[in-house]
Amino acid sequence: MNAAIRVEALKLVRSPVGTIGTLALVVGTLALLGGITAALASGNPELTAKAGSAATLDWNGLLANAAQITAVGALLGFGVVLSWMFGREFTDGTITGLFALPVSRHQIALAKLAVYVVWAIAVSIVLTLGFLALGLVLGYYIPTADTWAGIAIQGTLGMLTAAIAVPAALIATLARSVLAAIGSVIALVVLAQVGVLTGAGGWMPLAAPALWAISDGANVSPAQLALAIAVGVVFSILTAAGWARLQLDR
Amino acid sequence: MLEFENVSLRFRGGAGVENLTFRVDPGEVVALIGLNGAGKTTLMRLALRMLRPQRGTVRLFGESLDDAHDSSWAGVGALIEVPLAYPELTVRENLRIACLLHGSDRRHMEESLTTWRLAPFADRRFHRLSLGNKQRTGLASALQHDPRLIVLDEPSNALDPASVLLLRDQLTRRAREGAAILVSSHHLDEVARIADRVLLMNAGRLIGELDITGSDLERAFFDRIREDDEHHPTPQEVVR
Repeated sequence: MNAAIRVEALKLVRSPVGTIGTLALVVGTLALLGGITAALASGNPELTAKAGSAATLDWNGLLANAAQITAVGALLGFGVVLSWMFGREFTDGTITGLFALPVSRHQIALAKLAVYVVWAIAVSIVLTLGFLALGLVLGYYIPTADTWAGIAIQGTLGMLTAAIAVPAALIATLARSVLAAIGSVIALVVLAQVGVLTGAGGWMPLAAPALWAISDGANVSPAQLALAIAVGVVFSILTAAGWARLQLDR
Repeated sequence: MLEFENVSLRFRGGAGVENLTFRVDPGEVVALIGLNGAGKTTLMRLALRMLRPQRGTVRLFGESLDDAHDSSWAGVGALIEVPLAYPELTVRENLRIACLLHGSDRRHMEESLTTWRLAPFADRRFHRLSLGNKQRTGLASALQHDPRLIVLDEPSNALDPASVLLLRDQLTRRAREGAAILVSSHHLDEVARIADRVLLMNAGRLIGELDITGSDLERAFFDRIREDDEHHPTPQEVVR
């Protein structure tokens, strides 16, 4: 298992997908947030009306906008990288080399997921530090205890979003395709939005992390948040089982 | 080392393999030849657990693959279709991950770079290699841990004449040292030089062995295939 983790970590670190995915998640999110904040500061009336309570030029406004961007952007970013980690073995044909090894395929799948989790946690932490730096650069006051709590929620939102992207790994395995898995990530984003619009709220695991972060932790219970983590765990188990039973019959 | 006993597998579309029985013993090079679609790759996939048979038993080191422990695979080296090598990694990094996944000593990697004449490209990314160098990297990756059973699907693909000689030397030396080797190929002359036995495959069945002492191997090969086709008409021909 240790060997498989080292192999998967090397593959992610050296791949353009890993590098571009990380930059898109961190730099892209911060650039978008900076742009929205600048537009609000310039007094753009349309954007101010749309932003609602997030239109304020302070930590509350910044973190509310950050949560909205992270909810969709991080799900796409994490999901695409995870889709590639699993689907590329089939698309590149390297899956044949992952048979007949003393490391079992379910261990390889778990190693991929372990590397993904560590990477997603690192990206979430760096992104959160980026939000903090952006707020300080914008001249917002020194964070209060409430602001620190809001910043911590942002970091947690990133990690929970990584958990709800895990179904993409199963789709990549079943469909044996990167593109099919990326399609499933788009479906996850749509389902999360539908969950919010239909009022399923916190009981919709795909929407719960975003609703929790946007409401500053008020509108979603710990049990509802745990469901989002359960999605990650259950789909990790299913993906590992899929790799254990894999046959190259198509 | 490797044994098939009445192994059959039929895919949904109708193709597959039927009633395969053969064995590869230590120190022996067994070649598998047949036309495209004869079932050679399917047979190799069955040997490596990429496919599970619907009937029959595949044994590895005397143990059924149904009962084989993961550690048994440490003694197997294989290259089927695509090498275990990633485009974003260098040749050295690719050999290192093969060492890690096979649980072998890292020193093998440096020896392998020299053996397979890959040292000049060791720090070049795999996707920037020529086809021949990619194939040599794949062979190095499959063989550097000194496996007791070697399974190679058309290993001389894309190799230049010097590399073909290198491959031949590697396989004959490893067989002399006790490895069991199963190799598929389209090159009858090449097969005749290295193989102790040549198994003929046609329409998913093993139809016997080819006498490699004869002078016109191609003619002998096609005669056997034609003879088999005449005795085993396809389902469409039966209907007509």
